[in-house]
Amino acid sequence: MTDSRTSSHPAPTEEEQAARPVGTYPPTQELLDAPDDPQARAEREAQLREAWKTPRGWRYLSAVNNTEVGAWYALSAFGFMLCAGVLALLIRVQLAVPDNDFLSADRFNQFFTMHGSAMMFLFAVPMFEAISILLLPAFLGARDMPFPRLSAYGYWCFLIGGSFVLGSVLFNVAPKSGWFMYPPLATEQEGIGPDIWLLGLSFIEIASIAAAVELIVGVIKCRPPGMRINIMPLYAWYVLVVGVMILFAFPPLIAGDFLFELQRSLDWPFFDPDRGGDPMLWQHLFWIFGHPEVYIVFLPSIAIAAMVVPTASQRPIVGYSWIVLSAVGVGFLSFGLWVHHMFTTGLPSLSLGFFSAASQAVVIPTGVQIFAFVATLMVGRVKMIQPMLWIAGALAIFTMGGLTGVMVAIAPFDWQVHDTYFIVAHLHYTLFGGLVFPLLGGVYYFYPFFTKRMMSDRLGRISFWTTFIGFNVCFLPMHLTGLMGMPRRVASYSSDMGWDWLNLLSSVGSFIVATGILIFAWDLVRPKRDQPLAPRNPWNGGTLEWSHDVPAEAWGSRSVPYVSSRYPLWEDDKFLERLDGGRFYIPDAPEGKRETLVTSAVDAEPQGALPITGPAWCTIWAAAFTGGAFILPVFKLYWLASLSGAGAVACVVYWLWTATAQVPKAPDRDVGLGLRLPVYVTGFRAPGWWAMFITMLGDATAFASIVFGVFFFWTARPDFPPEGAAHADATLIALSALGFVLAWGATITAREVNRRGRQRAARALVGAGVLCTLGAAGAMGLALWLPGMAPSSHAYPATMYALGVWVGAHSGAGVVMLLYCLAGSWAGKLTPRYDADLVNTTLFWHFLCLMGLVTALMMGVFPRLAS
Amino acid sequence: MVLAPTVWAFHFVFCYAVMSVACIKLGAPDIARLGVAALTVIALGIIGFLGWRAWVQWNFRPGDNYKHDRPTESQRREFLGHGGFLLSIVSAVGVIFDALPIFIIESCI
Repeated sequence: MTDSRTSSHPAPTEEEQAARPVGTYPPTQELLDAPDDPQARAEREAQLREAWKTPRGWRYLSAVNNTEVGAWYALSAFGFMLCAGVLALLIRVQLAVPDNDFLSADRFNQFFTMHGSAMMFLFAVPMFEAISILLLPAFLGARDMPFPRLSAYGYWCFLIGGSFVLGSVLFNVAPKSGWFMYPPLATEQEGIGPDIWLLGLSFIEIASIAAAVELIVGVIKCRPPGMRINIMPLYAWYVLVVGVMILFAFPPLIAGDFLFELQRSLDWPFFDPDRGGDPMLWQHLFWIFGHPEVYIVFLPSIAIAAMVVPTASQRPIVGYSWIVLSAVGVGFLSFGLWVHHMFTTGLPSLSLGFFSAASQAVVIPTGVQIFAFVATLMVGRVKMIQPMLWIAGALAIFTMGGLTGVMVAIAPFDWQVHDTYFIVAHLHYTLFGGLVFPLLGGVYYFYPFFTKRMMSDRLGRISFWTTFIGFNVCFLPMHLTGLMGMPRRVASYSSDMGWDWLNLLSSVGSFIVATGILIFAWDLVRPKRDQPLAPRNPWNGGTLEWSHDVPAEAWGSRSVPYVSSRYPLWEDDKFLERLDGGRFYIPDAPEGKRETLVTSAVDAEPQGALPITGPAWCTIWAAAFTGGAFILPVFKLYWLASLSGAGAVACVVYWLWTATAQVPKAPDRDVGLGLRLPVYVTGFRAPGWWAMFITMLGDATAFASIVFGVFFFWTARPDFPPEGAAHADATLIALSALGFVLAWGATITAREVNRRGRQRAARALVGAGVLCTLGAAGAMGLALWLPGMAPSSHAYPATMYALGVWVGAHSGAGVVMLLYCLAGSWAGKLTPRYDADLVNTTLFWHFLCLMGLVTALMMGVFPRLAS
Repeated sequence: MVLAPTVWAFHFVFCYAVMSVACIKLGAPDIARLGVAALTVIALGIIGFLGWRAWVQWNFRPGDNYKHDRPTESQRREFLGHGGFLLSIVSAVGVIFDALPIFIIESCI
């Protein structure tokens, strides 16, 4: 029984042996039933409580625990949602009667732009991340997220960026060209509005990607031992799918923002047709993001439904595999629909048909999960618990939104209703049904888990019916308003049009919705100190989150369980007793450190007990400086912005240096149940490696979007590259490519040499890598500059320069990482045995080398072939 | 498990590229239609193969428990096979849907 892991591998080396688990796994029945000493148990409990103590007083702000950060995140996102809701009400007041002058047209434009932008970027996506940060560790019986400080950093970035973007509306400088910011309207707009949108939201998108990376790694690496991929909660499946979608959907928008901001601040004409650009590129990049975005907000809410439905039915979900299929299928297919937002832009009809068909196809997987829910409800004994009411309402509303979605996916129908209120009605039906209702239901459902108190059943029902009725009163008539020809985004209309009563009805409805949401908000925040504590498992759910501690404890899970079924609380009657008794894994904290178990990606076999980061201020500083780097350029303060950016890098380096990949005192530790696990792992066993890999996948997607831009210009424009245009110098480009390959080779060799204990040679190689990188980036810069390519003259040199800027910035990051490893090697933080930093840097370099080579091809070879 | 949808994704991207180049650069709708048809046949072939492999991995026997909810390696394998099989069906439907317009639309306009 012992050494079950090591025996399956051929003769591991001594170092590998040290990084392997030793002992019994899976745990035997005797081990699980072994009695323990109450006094030792109390001691272990005290250790754990001390290690996970939440800071008090003003230091509370330095907390990084998922329960704290998640709650702040969720409340901030809800606050932004209320603000965006107020904007919606003002819009509805303006439109209530014809020829109204309550708002000026200019302010109306700002309001609808900010309403859409805030609801999408400051509420929908962050709310998913907030709720997932709050819930995911509990679903997985984990102590915390794998990178708690990263969550905190993401949160502070979100708060700063969100306040900045939304605050602009108070100063009458908000963006006003609609939430999708089409050029040329947005590129030509005077003032700082578009810059606020581009820079502020890029900042938040980066924070969103950070959270997505963390959630993906959480699902892949932080599942409890035994939770194989076929028994993990559906919520985790959805988080995985949505995280991956964010990773591929947001980068195109970031790439678009990058090009857009280069045009606004440096006048590089990507979207200016007079100089070889094309505004359609923005539409493509925006909607490659924008359509998956709809599913990015929809799937997490459906995930909540997937947790509530089995509890309400008091039975396991029907068709688990089918729901996984549906989540993964939607995740893929939703990337093939973006052009259905662009049916009226004059694309070839063959392409239209193609995207129209793809838009129809996504209905299949979407429908499958709804049928699975209905089936579960049919075969179970449904208790109409209050959260289920919201889920039922959501299914009804979403289905209606889905049906109009099938209608507008048909190109000729879309031509009729494009940019009318029919679209407004459709998108609000999908978003309310697909996001708001399940989310509010989820809050009612999980509230006892969050706060250990119950929300009011009566207020919940009142709030539901008010919101549900108000919503339909507001948005159902809009279908008709749209069919009668009212375009969206008009500040007023004449009473001759016959839209009066429909608009008035919608406005009345909007205030009913607002009342419902306010009742919910009151129920959420009203003081509940006098109320008794909620029962531990108030809805009798079967999944791990209902093993939480009442009253609350900060350690997440008393011990990390061994899981052997999808619904441990229903199917294993000794589970809770063992969990609470600390008779599973890591029930203690002998060194006073916060730790989490790391398991293998598919079968969740334990691989390590890794320390994770605790409370810190450097994350807040890092967020503040990052904010400066994004916000100051809005006011053309480029030098200050660069300084701020340097400050952010310094904070991040400090944070990594002092808290991550520390050389441990002992190589492994006893985690309980007869198992010893390493406390330091590298490569694909380590969460840090996965985080780097996943981040770089996203980054490579952004790069690919810029490359797509080059091909797009080539197909869409006859003058790309223009005749007789200067091309990048071929020799220098070849040198640059060589430099990237050499730097990459040096990094890989350094890793191998370091592992063999030859640290001086490794340092020399890392140093050589730095020089090669600088040489490669320099050669690329010269290759563009020497032939006299002027980026503001035409989109061709501009895209070449944009690629150069992108690769240059990444080369800078590559150099910083190499120098970090060099310093680590000197300081004894990076040793032959403990080399995670260098392993992760090598991983970064695989991607950087690829980017360098692709860029060299795009600059040196492609234009010569194309012209 | 995600190989079949990945084939769908590549089919999608290549079809889009073929249509754009053939229609906008060359103005030749027939090339676009033939190209898409060829890509579709290839994609369906690969998806069919992946689906067959997933079916074998699923190891479905009528009357069995196919909830795949036990904590064993074989159940996990069969679960991934089941998921992969279902996903290859959805992917095949997606590929066929994407190719339908070439039968109906004969021009690039």
